[in-house]
Amino acid sequence: MKGLWAGLVDWLDNRTGFRKLRHHALEEPLPAGTGWWFTLGSVLLFGLSVQALTGIGLALFYAPTPDHAWDSVRYITTGVRGGAFLRGLHHWGASVVVVAAVVHLVRVVFFGSYRKPREVNWIVGILLLQVILAFGLTGYLLPWDQRAYWATVVAINISKLTPGLGELLASLLRGGSEIGALTLTRWYAIHVMVLPLALVSLVVAHLYLMRRHGISGPVRPQSGPSQMFFPHQAARDLTMAALVGVLLAVLAWKGAPPLEAPADPTSSNYIPRPEWYFLGLFQLLKYFPGRWEVIGALVIPGVAMGLLVLLPWLDRGRSREARQRMAVLVPFTFGLAILATLTVLGARDSAPASAARWNIQEIGGAAMIATSERCTRCHRADGLAAAIEPGHISKPADWVAMHVADPEVIAAGVRDAPQGSATAQAETKAMIAAVSRLRSGAPPAQDAATTHIYREFARYCFSCHVVDGAGGKDGPELTHAGLKLSTETIELRIIDPKMVKPDSDMPAFGGKMATEDIRAIAQWLASRK
Amino acid sequence: MSAHDSDRRNTLAKLVTAGIGLIGATLAGLVGAAATPRVTARAPRWRKAASMFDLPQDTPFAAVLADRQADGWYETRKETVVYLEKVGDDYRALSATCTHLGCRVSWNAETKHFHCPCHGGVYDRDGRVISGPPPAPLTRVNVRLNAQTSDLEVEL
Repeated sequence: MKGLWAGLVDWLDNRTGFRKLRHHALEEPLPAGTGWWFTLGSVLLFGLSVQALTGIGLALFYAPTPDHAWDSVRYITTGVRGGAFLRGLHHWGASVVVVAAVVHLVRVVFFGSYRKPREVNWIVGILLLQVILAFGLTGYLLPWDQRAYWATVVAINISKLTPGLGELLASLLRGGSEIGALTLTRWYAIHVMVLPLALVSLVVAHLYLMRRHGISGPVRPQSGPSQMFFPHQAARDLTMAALVGVLLAVLAWKGAPPLEAPADPTSSNYIPRPEWYFLGLFQLLKYFPGRWEVIGALVIPGVAMGLLVLLPWLDRGRSREARQRMAVLVPFTFGLAILATLTVLGARDSAPASAARWNIQEIGGAAMIATSERCTRCHRADGLAAAIEPGHISKPADWVAMHVADPEVIAAGVRDAPQGSATAQAETKAMIAAVSRLRSGAPPAQDAATTHIYREFARYCFSCHVVDGAGGKDGPELTHAGLKLSTETIELRIIDPKMVKPDSDMPAFGGKMATEDIRAIAQWLASRK
Repeated sequence: MSAHDSDRRNTLAKLVTAGIGLIGATLAGLVGAAATPRVTARAPRWRKAASMFDLPQDTPFAAVLADRQADGWYETRKETVVYLEKVGDDYRALSATCTHLGCRVSWNAETKHFHCPCHGGVYDRDGRVISGPPPAPLTRVNVRLNAQTSDLEVEL
């Protein structure tokens, strides 16, 4: 049996020459003292391989259209066996790749490894970094959630600032006249076809050039016999890759990657923030007002990359010792520190909270959805329709409005039609308003009594009275009702306004509303001063 | 090899190289032509934004205008947000798109300013830049009152 196997391998070697190739690939003599610092490139290669494999796994389920992208990503997370972990690996893998690429680059700079004759390989490495960042940017859009949409809006608008070519570049990235279906297919094609092709070509070039010139080795050449790459250095590479792999698995297991509410171009309460590795650039954009914005968006990042490319020609001394190369290492470290500071500042930044505050109608509407038999009959864990989960609503606004207002259209024969009264109309409006807020998250937590008051206020009062900047304006504003009116007066006015003011247009609610609800609303309004 | 043969060889080499280049350029041109979008700008037209009775006092009203729009093989809703406000006897409409990098500004009832949630741009009630990176005021949109229907119409 063994003879047969050996014969088969010999035959294959005779026809393909694979033994020679394997020998060439693995039996690379490395300078003495090559150690752990030289495993970083392999860690990066490991990360890229994880991305390629998990990416294939995700592509089996992903659908790049605005109608299905978000739902397909949600399906991967909830319906595919091990899908959440797979997506977690791809999500955190992107961060691992960025970190590994930067650490590898920093090692190369500090060891002076880009020096003659390795200049071209250094440039190939910088190009690889651009490809990796482009992977990050195009990968973002694919889940078609709020973050995806707004990050893409900003990225495409930045491309418009390119002198001369801005509009062309933006329209090439956008695909159509607006960000939409054509943008999604385009970025998907770039993410899964164009960039992988560029990545593989550049990685092959990088490895070829590394072998052509050999690795640079320790800064101070060490005496002693050279070691073969296989198995000595390969064992170090494997150890590091395994450690990073364990870290990645823990991250993917513990930290579910975010899937925010589906993309909503009209949303005014969403606060867009990019992925952490773009936070530095994000923060930089804030410092260049008006016509200077091109400096933060393109000039500074461009100059920084340009300086990196030119490093081998700016740093031409004889020694690779760090002490002899302070003129290069100090500014480089300073640049890194600025990038780190900008990233931290960007991460700390949060937009004004009041912009995202829920109004009474929205909170009341959310309470109606949660408690009304009209909704919960179908929308519950084991019901005919999916439970309504904050942040997990993908139906467009007009569909929701139609669904809430007219049961015959979407759920014929299943639901009751809302009664044609003004109260029913107010309920419908409150529910529609609430759904638009529930897209991006749950309502603020508050006690049940206040929520009940908000719900009844949204049902009976909101369409005529403004409170805290929202509401109808047929009646007087009630934001500070307690300044003028007592609980008793308000209560009387609600029960029968004509008893207090004979010429009042306000309808009487005594008999329509529960007595204790009238009392609670009156107390709440009287407390507003 | 004679000089004549060498010349022939060089000429052939150039022809082959040029042929490969031509094939590559043709393929790249085809893909490039397909990838360059055909964008046809739609002429602005007057559309209903809100009923004049919808406008609250003392606060700009965010009107969402929806438009069915072709997006490749797809027909999507393009939604535009415009802030409407009564100013004296007249009406004013401001685009809610930040002039910096296109995020959606929102009205803050406490500060009485428009805030952009992305890079911190702040505009006053008239759309003028107060602070942050926006290079220009919020874009003014033409608005008119349709006396017959009491609708406010904007030109978009």
